[in-house]
Amino acid sequence: MKLAGLWTMVRQNIGRSRKNFLMSGFGIVVGVSTFVFFVGLGEGIRDVVLGEIFLVDQVEVVPRTFDTGLGFGGSGRVIDDAAVEELRGLDGVQAVYPKMKFTFPASGVGGKSIFGRDLRAEIIADGIEPALVEGEIEDASKFRDFGGERACSDAAACGEGEACTDGLCVGQACTYDERTYLEACPGKSYCVEDTGRCEQPIPFLVSNHLLELYNGSLATALAGSSTKMPKLSAKMVEGFQINLTLGRSFLGRTRNARPITRRIELVGFSDKAITVGVTIPLAYVKRFNEKLGGVESASAYHSVVMRVDDQTRVPEVVAAIGEMGFDLAESTESAEQAARIILTVQSVFALIAFVIVGIAAVNISQMFYTMIYQRRREIGVLRAVGASRGDVRRLILSEAALLGAVGGLAGAVTGFGLAALADTIAARLPEFPFKPETFFAFPWWLWVAAVVIAMVFCLFGAFFPANAAARQEPAAALTQ
Amino acid sequence: MIRLTDVKKSYPGTAATEYALRGVSLTIDEGELVAIVGTSGSGKTTLLNIIGGLDRAYEGKAEVMGRDLARLSDAELSDLRNREIGFVFQHFSLLDHLDAVENVRLPARFSRGKAPVDDPAARAEESLRSLGLGDKLRAKPTSLSGGQKQRVAIARALLFKPRLLLCDEPTGSLDTVTGEQIIETFQQLNAEGYTVVIITHEARVSDACRRIIRIEDGQIVDDGRGGNVDHPIIPGDTHDAGDDE
Repeated sequence: MKLAGLWTMVRQNIGRSRKNFLMSGFGIVVGVSTFVFFVGLGEGIRDVVLGEIFLVDQVEVVPRTFDTGLGFGGSGRVIDDAAVEELRGLDGVQAVYPKMKFTFPASGVGGKSIFGRDLRAEIIADGIEPALVEGEIEDASKFRDFGGERACSDAAACGEGEACTDGLCVGQACTYDERTYLEACPGKSYCVEDTGRCEQPIPFLVSNHLLELYNGSLATALAGSSTKMPKLSAKMVEGFQINLTLGRSFLGRTRNARPITRRIELVGFSDKAITVGVTIPLAYVKRFNEKLGGVESASAYHSVVMRVDDQTRVPEVVAAIGEMGFDLAESTESAEQAARIILTVQSVFALIAFVIVGIAAVNISQMFYTMIYQRRREIGVLRAVGASRGDVRRLILSEAALLGAVGGLAGAVTGFGLAALADTIAARLPEFPFKPETFFAFPWWLWVAAVVIAMVFCLFGAFFPANAAARQEPAAALTQ
Repeated sequence: MIRLTDVKKSYPGTAATEYALRGVSLTIDEGELVAIVGTSGSGKTTLLNIIGGLDRAYEGKAEVMGRDLARLSDAELSDLRNREIGFVFQHFSLLDHLDAVENVRLPARFSRGKAPVDDPAARAEESLRSLGLGDKLRAKPTSLSGGQKQRVAIARALLFKPRLLLCDEPTGSLDTVTGEQIIETFQQLNAEGYTVVIITHEARVSDACRRIIRIEDGQIVDDGRGGNVDHPIIPGDTHDAGDDE
């Protein structure tokens, strides 16, 4: 039978048994919409949890720590430059980004322009390579090392407050005064107390969630108090500057060197930034650690973020990391755990959806058996005029496939609509940290899967009736 | 055209000795107009089904157009029914959801690209017009009279101009006048060269045929020229003989 003829006959047959097909299609729509809704929900939550809260496109490696059980512990191999190179050489590893934390106490003061008064806080900071956040922040050139040794041919090649001296960018000399240090240097640069030279503020990033946490918790909690805190947007706080005291905080001070002060400026938000604290270019952290903590503290990284070629290779890379004597950071393990939980919940919902679609398939099977019984003589006529067994089978299975395709698509659209409705209702809920704009994600494959699953179940439901119809002897069918 | 040799047929669930056909042997040549008559349950329709390749569960040998039906695959047999044999049934066997043209061109849906006519829809319309149904081309079977339905069924059987026309009680559901017209149509088709085999229990039909084969209890009891058979087979029998098997 030609495809055009088959299509015409399928359309005609479905058209005259519209009620039967609608009833059977209803089950498919319910099952598929359940499937699409819950898988979409799972995918959405996965995006939020694994894309924003825990990152799974990367593995974070930390030095191994162990507990002797006798009240003291220790740590294993240090992550130094040699270890980083070794990790970079592992199969399946795309890129390696070492991270280093301050090895001295630090505190910050600032915020008058936003809060009306300066706030003081303990500062937790880490350093990352700018390449790790490339493409994530609006202007990547803002997040780089402005303080290291940089070659130049003239002053234009250097930053604000710098001059090109002997082929290197060097901060202009200035006289520090607590009241005028900000105006002592051109542009954004300021006069640094311990060097007596102009320097640009250190760029820093904060985690996207820090702002959400602030708006969702702190600002909300203090909304009715005397110390009112405004809700902030990313735009409002960009360019926000803080004075850092490195080597001294509320909790203590470094013993190795005198504390120093530096100014830092917020240049963007990133999921790669430390969750609570500030993240600055790695080169700054290395220099400060060396100055305030000693050479050793500037050579050992606290962790290494590794990007893997393909998520499926993560277990292989994790195993190699273990063999090298390193552990996974808690965030990576949490991500794996979260991924497992989400997958389990998603699987349960998918299973429920499959059961519904399965029940629909049984219903479809019944419908086709009934329909074939009613159309028995007609099938006999088709056989008499030249339809082969294959033609009869094809005709019935095509009807089932069309029912599945239409039912699957309708189910997917219904699931999508229900998701939109759920999002609308969720939008009215009070703000909370990590609250996403949508709880759902509908990747292209979900639409394809919805239609394919519906078609497979419909074909499965129609398979035995179609075979029974095809096996019928035309003479027997014509006597009906 | 048709050669049956010792054809036997029994139905499942009946005793092995209870045959619907008991060793039927016959030959029908090309261009013949043959009536097969017999009482209800005599095996007429069973015989027609075997000749038409609608029933393959039989013993003996059935050859149609030189082909041993038992040796043909389902696809080959379907092709034979599609292009070489036309069927006309007592109850018309039209599909109610299709109009007259669509019903007539139905065999073209299953011709697997080997349709002997270029434009089956045009051929269907032409056939219907030639049978006096030019104004009913788009009519659904439910809006047609019995005679009109049977003419649509004949037009369908003739779509590919088959060599053999098998008719099972073609006038069984028609009134006398319409029945006469249908008989005339078959005579005309036979005159055009079609081999026509008609299963009937009506004398007016068998009388119109040049050869009458009488079958009783699954056996041929008479095979003679028209008018040589006692009519009717069962006096006053006008029941639906299509249900006889």
